[in-house]
Amino acid sequence: MDLDVYLAAILGGDTRAFGGWMSGAEPRVRDSLRSFAQVIDVEAVLQETLLRTWQVAPRLVADGRPNGLLRMAIRIGRNLAISEVRRTKATPTDGDDLEAALAAGDRPISAPDPMLRKAIAECRDKLPDKPRQALDARLASAGGQDDDDLATALRMKLNTFLQNFTRARQLIADCLGKRGITIDLELGA
Amino acid sequence: MTDDDELLIEQVASAYRPVPRDELRYHPRWHDLGAAGRERAFARARALRELEAALDPDGLSTTARAVLARIAGAR
Repeated sequence: MDLDVYLAAILGGDTRAFGGWMSGAEPRVRDSLRSFAQVIDVEAVLQETLLRTWQVAPRLVADGRPNGLLRMAIRIGRNLAISEVRRTKATPTDGDDLEAALAAGDRPISAPDPMLRKAIAECRDKLPDKPRQALDARLASAGGQDDDDLATALRMKLNTFLQNFTRARQLIADCLGKRGITIDLELGA
Repeated sequence: MTDDDELLIEQVASAYRPVPRDELRYHPRWHDLGAAGRERAFARARALRELEAALDPDGLSTTARAVLARIAGAR
């Protein structure tokens, strides 16, 4: 899938189209920053990268290849990560290869699997009450509140909230595993 | 990894980040993690975002939702 199908609408200021683009691009941009994970907060850099990509998308010059905006985002993320390494005086990482990161933009991007989405939703619906509350609170806050605030809203101590969240993801991982669905091992860790 | 490390990883793997002002702001607990913990938090975040996107009606992770909120000026 060429994520540039969203480009015309993005240039028109359509945030829903940008959301569609992010749904495919986010994992690729995140992966391109993996080599920085020990020295900078990749989540903070990634969110800023995606925001800047939205802001500078009108400057994209098409080169005839697919996923031009994704490759631009990977470059923005890489430059921002390097700036962060300098700002924080962190030790630069090995294995920091821009060409390899950009190659991620050339690999095919699959559309979301509706059967997997259905299975995950069914496993979520089987969660016990407290873990479900913790998971739903994280989803509803969409990164807008820290876990202290989410725990307080649920009348839980922070550690209790986190233990319930951990249990939620582990139970979903177990449920998916029983259905023979291969998942990221970190989900069930 | 200790139990305390695991709880730190769980927090850092969320999409919550203080809104940047003049410079990027990291998750406050990120600084408490060592190199191995930061790697785990990266991997955990990646796995969680896939789960979140699957549970979102528009297929968006909490990272993407956080970015859209900033674009809308809500944060």
